[in-house]
Amino acid sequence: MTRGTRRVLSAFIAAAMSIGILFPAAAPAARDVAAELRRERARLIQMKEREEKTALELTEALRKEKLSKGRVGEIQERLKRQRSLLSRIDRKVSVLNGRLGETEKAVRELEAEHGQARTGLRRAEVAAFSGQRAGAGDPWRPSGRERERYFMRVYLAADAEGVARITMARERKEEELSGLERQVAVTERKRTQEKKVGETLLSRQEEERHRLADIEREKKRKEKELKSLRAKIARMESVVSRVERQVKERERRARKAAGGSEAGKPAEVPRRFASLPGGLSAPLAGKVVTRFGRQHDATFDVTIENRGVEIEASSGASVKSVGQGEVAFAGSVSGFGNVLILQHGGGLFSVYGRLETFLVKQGEAVKKGAAVGRLPGSPSGKSVLYLELRAGGTAIDPTSVIRLDR
Amino acid sequence: MSERPSLWWIDWRLSRGPLVREATGRFLFFCLLGFALLSLILSGGAGRFIADRYAITAVLRTEVPQAEAEGLARKVAALPPVRSAAYRDPEVAWKEFLRAYPGMEPLRGAGGNPLPGYIEIRIRPERLTGADVRLVTSALRSVSHVEQVLAGDEWLPRLLRAEHIVSWAFRGIFGAFLAGFFLVCRLQERARAVALAGDFAFLAERGVPAGRLAFFRAAGAAVSGFLLAAAGTAAGGGALFLSLRTFPFLENVIGPSYELILPRTVAAAALFSLVVALLSGAASLLGWMAARSRRK
Repeated sequence: MTRGTRRVLSAFIAAAMSIGILFPAAAPAARDVAAELRRERARLIQMKEREEKTALELTEALRKEKLSKGRVGEIQERLKRQRSLLSRIDRKVSVLNGRLGETEKAVRELEAEHGQARTGLRRAEVAAFSGQRAGAGDPWRPSGRERERYFMRVYLAADAEGVARITMARERKEEELSGLERQVAVTERKRTQEKKVGETLLSRQEEERHRLADIEREKKRKEKELKSLRAKIARMESVVSRVERQVKERERRARKAAGGSEAGKPAEVPRRFASLPGGLSAPLAGKVVTRFGRQHDATFDVTIENRGVEIEASSGASVKSVGQGEVAFAGSVSGFGNVLILQHGGGLFSVYGRLETFLVKQGEAVKKGAAVGRLPGSPSGKSVLYLELRAGGTAIDPTSVIRLDR
Repeated sequence: MSERPSLWWIDWRLSRGPLVREATGRFLFFCLLGFALLSLILSGGAGRFIADRYAITAVLRTEVPQAEAEGLARKVAALPPVRSAAYRDPEVAWKEFLRAYPGMEPLRGAGGNPLPGYIEIRIRPERLTGADVRLVTSALRSVSHVEQVLAGDEWLPRLLRAEHIVSWAFRGIFGAFLAGFFLVCRLQERARAVALAGDFAFLAERGVPAGRLAFFRAAGAAVSGFLLAAAGTAAGGGALFLSLRTFPFLENVIGPSYELILPRTVAAAALFSLVVALLSGAASLLGWMAARSRRK
C-alpha cells in the first residue's frame, strides 16, 4: 500500500471516527445533520472503495514497474557485459584470424620451399649418381674428381640440411597452425554461445520493454485516477472537518440549553490511556506484523505512515476490548472491512479493523476484556487485526500502552 | 829409318765407304735415342704427366676471408715440394662444380652456394713422392683455416706405383735400345775387322802389334761414337724443342722446352754420349777379338 493510499485511508478513518463519535452523542436537534453525515459517509465509503481499488491497482502497477525496470536494468547490464565480452572475443578472433592467416601463408611458403628443396635434393642426388656413374670431370685428373666428389657431398649435405631445416620449420608452423585453429574453433564456439546469450538477452530486453511500456501506460492511467480520487478525498476531509465542527457546536449548544451551570463548564479534558480504570489489555494473542508510525517499504521504496498496528492471530479468534468503554461506531470502512470504534471517554478511542463479525452493538457499553468481534477465517489459518488507539484526535502507538508480542 | 805409322782412324783410311754408311746410320739412331733420352729426362718418365694431374686440395672453412686464404696459399707455395698453390674462391668452386655436374645451376637459388673456397696445391714432378705429399698434407692439416685436405690418400700410392713402373719401363726400353746399339755395333765392328783382316795381317807382318791396332781401332770407335751420340742428341734435342714449340700440349707430358738447356739436361746428354763412346769402344774391341778368333 502506498503512502498516498495510507494517507487517504487515515483521513477516512479519522472522518469515520468523528462520525462514529458524533452520532451517538448527537442531540435531537442535530438529527438532520446526522442524517446528512450518514449519507455523506456512505458516499465517502463508496469513493474510498473505488480509491482503494485504484490505489491497489496502482500499487500493483508500481510494483510491476519496479520489478520490470529492475529486470530491464539487469538485462541491460548483462547486455552491456555481453557486448563487452563479445567485443573482446571479436578482437581476439580478429587477432587469431590474422595470426592464422600469417601462419597459413608461412606454412604454404614453407611447403613450396620444402617442395623445391626436395626436388633440388633429388635432382642433386640424380646428378651426383649420374656424375659418379659417368665419371664427372676430367678422368685424367683424379684430384679434380676427388674434389668434385667432395664438393658434391658438401652440396648434398647442405641440401639435406636445408630440407631438414625446412621440414622442421614446416612442422613447427603446422603445429602452431593446428594450435591456432583449435584456439579459433574454441573462440568461435564461445562467440556463438555468447551471441546466443546476447540474442536471448535482447529478446528478453525487448519483452521487458514491451511489458514496461504497458506498465507505464497503466501507471499513467492509475496516477490520473488517483489524482482525481485524492481531490475527492480532500474535498471529503473538508466536509468531515466541517461536520466535526458542527457536532462540537451542537454539543456546546446542547450543554448551554441543559442548564446555565453546565453552560459555563469547559469541555471534557482529554485523558491518557494509562489513566483508564483497570488499565489496558491486549485485544488478542498474536504477533505484531505491521508497526506504528513511518515505515519504509524496501520493495516499493516508499515510506508509509501507519496510524495503528496489525496483529497476526489465528483465524476466527475473538477480539476483546482493550479497556472499559462504549461502542461508538460499528460498521464497514473501505479498506478495513468491518470496523469497531470504542469510546473510552476523555477523547480516547480504540479502533478495531478487519473484523468479520461484531459481537456488540452501537451505543452498547463494554467492559475491559469483553469480546467485541471476531476475525475472519482464512485458508492459511491466520488473520490480521487492525488496532488503532487515538487520544485527543491523535493516533498513538498501541505497543507503548499495551503489551504486545512483536 | 823405320817410321811407325799412325793407327788413328785406320778403319776410316782402309774402308771409308762402309764406315760412312755406318756413321750415318748411327747418327740417325742417336738422333732418335737422343730425342727419347731428353724426353725421358724432361718428363721424368711418367712423373711429369702424373704430377701434372695430381693436386692436393685444401678445402677451407666457409668463414675464412679471401685475404687470409690468399695469404695461406702463398705460404703453402713456399713449401719446398710445392710447385704452385692457388686459391679458388667459393664462386670459382661453384662454377667448377657446375661444370662437373651440369644441371645443378637452378638449385642455387633455393639454397645459395654451399661450397667453400679451396687451395689447389701442385707438387713438383721430381718431388711427387709419398713422403713429400705427407709433408705438405700434414702442414696443411695443422692450419685452423683448413676444413679438409684432399690428397687422394686412397689412390695416391697406386698412382705412384704405376708412375714408378711406367718410368722404369721407359728407362728399360731406352736401355734395351742402347743394348741393341751395342750388339749391332759389335757385329759391324767384327764384320769390318774380318773384312780388313788382310790389311791388319800386312801391318802385323811389318811389326805393328795387334794390341796396338785393336786399341787405336777402339779409340777411334769411341771418339766417333761420342761425337755421333753428342751430335745425334743435339739434333734430337732440336727436334724435341721444335716439337714442344709446335705442339704445346706435349709440354704437359714431356715438360717445358726451356728445360732442354738446363745444366742437368746438358750433363745428362754429355753422360749419354760418354756411355755411347764407351759402348762403341767396347763393341770395337769385342768385334776385333771375335774376328781374330774366327781367323785362327
